[in-house]
Amino acid sequence: MNSSRNLGLVLMAPAIVLVVLFFLVPVALTAVFSFTTMSTSTGITGGAYQLAPNAIQRLRDQFGMVELAQKLGEPSFVIDERGLATLEAKGVAPGIVAELRSNHLNETFTVRRDVERMIRSLRERPSTPEVKLISAEFSRSLANARFADEAALFAAVKAIDAQLTEDEKAALAAASYSGWTWTTENFRRMVSTPDTARTLFNTLAYVSLTLVLFNTGFAMILALAVHYMPERPAGFFRILWLLPRITPPVIYVLMWKWLAWDTGFLSAVLDDFGVRPRNWMLDSAANAWVVVVFINGLVGASMGMLIFSSAIKAIPQSLFYASEVDGAYRWQQIRHIILPQLRWPILFVTCYQTLSLLTSFEYILLSTNGGPGGTTEVWALAIYHTALNNYAGNLQYGYGAAMALVLVVIGIVLSLVYLRLFNYGALVARPLIEH
Amino acid sequence: MTGNFRSWPVVLALSLLSAPLLLMYAYLIVDTITNSPVGSFVPNEFTLEHWSFLWETPRGRPNIWRVTLNSLVFATSSCLIVLAVSSTAGYVLSRLNVPGRSFFLAGVMVLHAFPAITLIVAIFLVLQMVGLYNSLVGVILVKAAIDMPLGIWIMKGFYDTVPWEIEMAGIQDGASRFRVWHSLVLPQVRPGLFALGLFSFLLGWSEFILPQVLAPGNQVQVLSVYLASLIADDNNFDMALFKSVGLFYIAPVLILFFAFQNYLMNIYGGGTKG
Repeated sequence: MNSSRNLGLVLMAPAIVLVVLFFLVPVALTAVFSFTTMSTSTGITGGAYQLAPNAIQRLRDQFGMVELAQKLGEPSFVIDERGLATLEAKGVAPGIVAELRSNHLNETFTVRRDVERMIRSLRERPSTPEVKLISAEFSRSLANARFADEAALFAAVKAIDAQLTEDEKAALAAASYSGWTWTTENFRRMVSTPDTARTLFNTLAYVSLTLVLFNTGFAMILALAVHYMPERPAGFFRILWLLPRITPPVIYVLMWKWLAWDTGFLSAVLDDFGVRPRNWMLDSAANAWVVVVFINGLVGASMGMLIFSSAIKAIPQSLFYASEVDGAYRWQQIRHIILPQLRWPILFVTCYQTLSLLTSFEYILLSTNGGPGGTTEVWALAIYHTALNNYAGNLQYGYGAAMALVLVVIGIVLSLVYLRLFNYGALVARPLIEH
Repeated sequence: MTGNFRSWPVVLALSLLSAPLLLMYAYLIVDTITNSPVGSFVPNEFTLEHWSFLWETPRGRPNIWRVTLNSLVFATSSCLIVLAVSSTAGYVLSRLNVPGRSFFLAGVMVLHAFPAITLIVAIFLVLQMVGLYNSLVGVILVKAAIDMPLGIWIMKGFYDTVPWEIEMAGIQDGASRFRVWHSLVLPQVRPGLFALGLFSFLLGWSEFILPQVLAPGNQVQVLSVYLASLIADDNNFDMALFKSVGLFYIAPVLILFFAFQNYLMNIYGGGTKG
């Protein structure tokens, strides 16, 4: 490990493995999953072939194979060697078995009554319990039978319908498969369902309101206020406004619930002024939006505040002194000295927060959970509700992956744009030791 | 800040703006050790009953100490992985002459900006397929991988400040590049390692979505999921209990933050998710 090239590759290896396993593979798999019908009902590994009633119905309605569907749907009885062998093993009278073998081998019946009448008319006259026992051994019904693979399915069906064509085989396999299949339906559904437009609108509103009002707007107010303050209160306020960011989301949202719930602080205070107590977080769409924007905004404001503050600190003090000698007001200082210096930090914060707001949903999940009635459901939260957790319990992994793919693509495109915009290539210095 | 403007109006205005925030945090503490009359927010008695969750396990919920242990294991392990991976990869990106170094660095930047949470559907399905769903190992690896790009970026920044002369002297004396990194450079960035370790421990301790989706079971539950499921249970609404569990959960965060804020301020100002 003497050359820096070998050492470098060894030291990079763990990072590369993690990147491949948890970034590259999931990106590719998101794309793959988005073209499947995976859901809770199909499972995520391969499925099985099952001739459930709905599979037989599909065979009839979708594939037009009425005869085959009818045969499979009916209970059927076949007098075959397998059944006779079982009867012998079970110790049924040899005369019955012999007569069945010689006179009735390969007869088929579609109705239980018919096969039992035949058995009853045998010379040895079996009793009714015996008839039931014998007929059960010849039942070859496939309704609800499960098969691990196509071959087993075809073999079983052949016992009922010996002339199975290739077309029928294909239809049979397609209709009875219970696992996931490939599809482009997810994207068609995403384009056509009205939920998409509403969720998209919510997402745009959420990102732009939070970004403009808090992540840049309020952050700027905080940074300016802290700038025009002595060091001690400035430090105090910087820490105070950083608290929402370092507080774990679950507790942070809990404190908002304490403020906004119908037995909470806001209701109690406003009650004294004659306002009916209510759940300010969920009682109307407008209030839910205010809460959502505030909750996310205060978290985001701290990042802007710190970045803007350090940018203001970097401005030479002499500029401020000179402007004050010239009689500048405070807002003139802000307008002509501070704001022009903040162009790049503002752009950086805007870019950065756009992407993280677009994809973050935990604060909304914990506070309004998309309510009331889906009015605060944003795109990322809709993915969570579609594929990972919802009340109905039917998780649509395929459709969720398709929705996630949209964000993944946006994420990749925007991060590449940012890389260009902020010229990170300039950050790589040439190594001074060459070997 | 120059002397020509009065600062008290600004301090007053910001104090008023900050009052609700202060109030929320003050009541987070007050409500856990007091009772108030119905409809009032002025406490009238001191009590420890809200803390009974520490010694009594409610039916159908995991034991709080078990959950705390899970949280500790989760946060510590993901922090250690992030530290190990970032301290090596960061050094490569800062110093070593490997092919495609600027490509790797651009990759780290893109991954840092890229919202990994969008991959959670695929990760969820993969963990189920390979049998790591509902296990701490799976969620720890995912968390470490997601925090790693930021860690590499931060460590690269710290390595960049180490003078080249130290390494040159080491090479002159015949040490291998590995020995130089391990024995000479690594001690130089110890404050950086400490800050990053602290930061990623806090990130792990606060994480909610990943354990909620990837490891929600009672055996592997962490504090954030435990508290969220307490709050989500409509049959047992007890704000004082929620706040007590919440305070128990947030206490390490606040202690670490106030004790080491000088270390952390740099990283928080440098742009993290949120």
